[in-house]
Order: sequence, then C-alpha cells, then structure tokens
Amino acid sequence: MDSLITANDGRDIMPGARALENREYNLFIGPNHPGIEGNFALKLTLEGDTIVKAKTEAGFLHRGFEKLMEERLFMQNIAIVARICVPDPDPNEENYARAVEAIAGIEVPRRAQFIRVLVLELSRMASHLFTFGGHGGTIGLYTMPNWTVSDRDRILDLFEELTGARVYHLYNIPGGVRRDLPQGFENRVKEVLFFIEDRLKEYDELFFNNRVLLERSVGVGVLPQDRALEWGATGANLRAAGFAYDVRKDDPYEVYGELEFEIPTATDSDCYSRLIVRRRELEQSIRIIRQILDKMPPGPVWNKQPNPLKWRVPAGDAYVRTESSKGEYAYYMVSDGGVRPYRVHVRGASVTHGVHILENMLRGARIEDASQIMFSLDACPPEVDR
Amino acid sequence: MNKPTLDRANVLARPPAAVGKPRSAADLLSAMADELGIKTFFQKAPRRIEGTVAPELLHSFAANLRNRLGVEHLSAISCVDWIDQGQFELVYHFWSYRDSTLMSAKVRIDRATAQMDTITDLWQPASFFERDIHEMFGVYFRGNGDLEKYILSDWNGPPPMRKDFVSRDFAHEHFQFKTYDVPWDERIQGGYYGSRNGEEKKNG
Repeated sequence: MDSLITANDGRDIMPGARALENREYNLFIGPNHPGIEGNFALKLTLEGDTIVKAKTEAGFLHRGFEKLMEERLFMQNIAIVARICVPDPDPNEENYARAVEAIAGIEVPRRAQFIRVLVLELSRMASHLFTFGGHGGTIGLYTMPNWTVSDRDRILDLFEELTGARVYHLYNIPGGVRRDLPQGFENRVKEVLFFIEDRLKEYDELFFNNRVLLERSVGVGVLPQDRALEWGATGANLRAAGFAYDVRKDDPYEVYGELEFEIPTATDSDCYSRLIVRRRELEQSIRIIRQILDKMPPGPVWNKQPNPLKWRVPAGDAYVRTESSKGEYAYYMVSDGGVRPYRVHVRGASVTHGVHILENMLRGARIEDASQIMFSLDACPPEVDR
Repeated sequence: MNKPTLDRANVLARPPAAVGKPRSAADLLSAMADELGIKTFFQKAPRRIEGTVAPELLHSFAANLRNRLGVEHLSAISCVDWIDQGQFELVYHFWSYRDSTLMSAKVRIDRATAQMDTITDLWQPASFFERDIHEMFGVYFRGNGDLEKYILSDWNGPPPMRKDFVSRDFAHEHFQFKTYDVPWDERIQGGYYGSRNGEEKKNG
C-alpha cells in the first residue's frame, strides 16, 4: 500500500496513515441560529469549505398554532397569529382579520384601513432594520446590529404608544383596529420618519457602501430570475432578481391601491441586491406612511362586531394575501359556521425561502457564506414551524 | 473593486407584466372551459376564481395551467379535514403573475385511503407543502420522493392535524396535572391552594 506521508528519501514516516476515502464531513449549524432570527438548524455536508448538501431542520419552535386556532374563538386567535412571525407580526394580524372579514362580509371603516396600512408599514420598517443588523452580524460588521436595533426601538416606542405592546401588538382585529391614534401621534411618527431618513445616510456610509460588505456579498448567493420563479421565491428575493412583483400593487388590499409608491428591483440577485432592495423599500415605506398621515380621514376605527364569545362566522372560505417584509404571506381560512375557525392554514413567506430555496442555494456555497445567504433570504423560522 | 453600488437597485414605477396582456377573470374562465375542458370554475371575488377538480385530473389540470395558461406561481397547498363527509379537501392556490388572479382548485379525496398524485414535477415549491400535509394529515403523495418527517421527527402518533386527533384528550392521557405544593410555598404564603383560592390546602 502506498504510504501517505513520505520523507525525502522515500521512507514511510507515518505507517498507519491512510488517505481518507470519503472527504465529506457533516457540520451542524444551529439550532441556536446562525443569525438572530430564530431557532433553525442547518445540517451541512461539506467537502473542504464547500457545501455539498444542505438540509434544514425546523420544529424547535413548533407550537401547533394551526391546531390551536381550531380550538379557540375567532377573536381569541388574534393573540396567537401575531406570534407566527416575531420580527414582523402585523401582517399576520391584518391577514387573519381580513380573512374573517372576507368570509363574514364585514366592512372595515376607512380610517381603520389607513391605520392598518400605517401599522403594516411601520412593522415592515422595523423588520427591515432588524434584517440589516442581522446581515451585518453574519459578516462581522457588528456596529450595524447595534445601530439598527436601537433605531428600531424608536418604532417599537411608537407601537407601544399606539397599541400598548412593543412586539406583539394584537391591534388589528376583525372589523377594524382596536383603538384610535393617540393625540399627537402623527407628529411623533413624522419625527421618527425624519430620524430614520437621516440615519439611512449614515447606514450607507457604515454598511451599504462598506468595502467589507461589498467584498463579502456581491456575487455571493446568486439566485437567477428563472430559478427564483421556479423555486417559488416571492417578495424582495424575487424583486432582487429583476421581477417587479409586489402583492401591494398586484393584489391590492386595504388602501394600497390609492397610494403612490414604487417597487424597487435589482438585477444581480445576489446577497447584496437583496439587501439593497430592502433598503430601497424602507424609503418607499417612509413615503407611504407620509401619504397615509396626510390623507388620514376622520371617522370610526372599528365596525362593532357581535359578542366574541357567541360570534358565529358564516360558513365559507377565503384565501387572503399580504406583502410582508419577508414576501408573500397568505392565510387560508375555512369556517363551518361555528364559533371557531374550522381550519386556518398559514402560508408564511419563509416556507419556500427557508426550506426549498435555502437548501438549493447553499449547495456549492462556501461555509462562511451560509448564514449570510440564509439572512439575505430573510427567512423567518417561526413561519416554517407555525 | 467597483465603486459603491447603491444604484444597482433601480426603481420601477410599475411591474412589467409577466408575459403578454393581462386577461380578465371572464377570459380566464372561458379559456379554462375551451382549452382545458374545466367548467366548474367561477369567479368568487375580484381577482379570485375557484372551482373543483377531480383528483385524477388534477395533475393534467396543473400541467395545462402552467403550459397553456402560463400560470407561474404555486402560492400554497392547503388541506382541510372534512371528517363528517369522510374526505380530505386539498386546495391548490395558483397565482397568475400575468393576470393578477388567484385560481384555487379544490380536490376532494377519500379520507380512508388518503392518496394523491404529486405535482412536484411541475412546481418545485409543492414539495414542501406536500411534505407538510403528509406529516400533519397523513395524505400520501404518489411520486413525491421527499416525504420524510420534518417538524414532528420524534412523533409516532397519528397525524396531529386530523380532526379525530383531539389535542386536549392527548394531553390528559399523556401528561399529569400537578399541584404545586412545595414546602417553601407553604412557609411563605400558606400553600398554593390556601392562598389563591381561599380553600383548604389539598394534599397533592
């Protein structure tokens, strides 16, 4: 047998050593997340530094929400749905409420629709800020998480004032929203918008134009448009591939149809493009919120519903969709005419991004880019677990 | 290294239509009837059409939807357990980027046999939805090569999302409800039950 390690004169200096037949090895990342977004494990098979195969493993957060919702009253479920996506909870509430409204034929007061859009966009901004920080964290730019998470707190302050809660707001309920804006709230929103707009310039200098970020993320994790469509990408991940599609434009809900905003796209579809599309979306969110504050009509904010303990929603089903910060979010709700929903199916955006697309994109990537690719897809594990 | 590239994100005022001119719901319905021979579909709401499809026709329906009508996006597959009728209802939600319309195809399958053809060969995202339904409802998708357990890897019981699996009964069978009588509690506040309910302390 050939010796593996020989000296200059041909002597076998490590007689027992054998060449490894199988060069692949397994590496587990998680479940205490490679970034900050939740408990999610990656089982990687590597050869050297290159990922040969990737398997995702979820279930660490599984709380059986879909089953639990069948056991609870329509109004009680509001407290559950918000917890399905932690960084961006409002699309869940709004989507759930809109599904009930679609089945029961409930009109939502116009002012409530405006407030919902305000809340949704604030939530989108908070979620994007979180993502920028997390993305910075995955490539060693640790100032970014400190900045964005503290700036996000200003938005959470607004939520606290409006809804009484910072993270899970439980604010959008079937028929409208829970209560009207506090006095002077508009001005405080505007202050925060100005603040974040100013901060964006600093983010550019610190992060988006940072040479480290450019070196690490340009050309990494490329998801071409045809693949993105084939694999079912939505949201910013699809837009970064040059496909300008947004549920807010194409399947408008609430008052998005009346607002002026644009859909940022990019063409390269790498980690940097996905990041930069989200950064541009932040500007659009600011623009939307300013229009909302200008156009906000007076009036009631809740169309009063019957006693929630006895409220029977007529039989029927509805599939409602939202553009969340992660992508297309949808709820399929079936009611059999009882006091509880018969079935609620949550289609989180990360169901496709976090499992199928991530597994495919990691193949051939390098180990140090794994968490960055996961983060650039903005996959939110609780949406997968439900 | 190129200069910083914030301009790489360009802003479009309006998304380009995916391919071709958008069709109205009526056009889509007539195209379905003419080209696919499916006449059960109707318009339910703006941008929503739905209808029923026989289980054995679903695969060819889905293929035609993709190849002839140009539908590109499978939004989700939902499963509903209609236990009283002995059926599972699979609802395939297709979204047409071109027409901005959601097409929901409802398929009823027998609950006892619970088998269905996969559409993973047509839509890759279907693989996870089917895997999820297989795990939670026990519906077997013929031709899907990846139906291994995902979330419930330690679970040997029946598929938990079925209506005949009652989580409350399961909890009562498998978990003991404890009363929290600990010595320090008694010392501090006279015991859990004594202090909270005003009753006599029960021996747990």
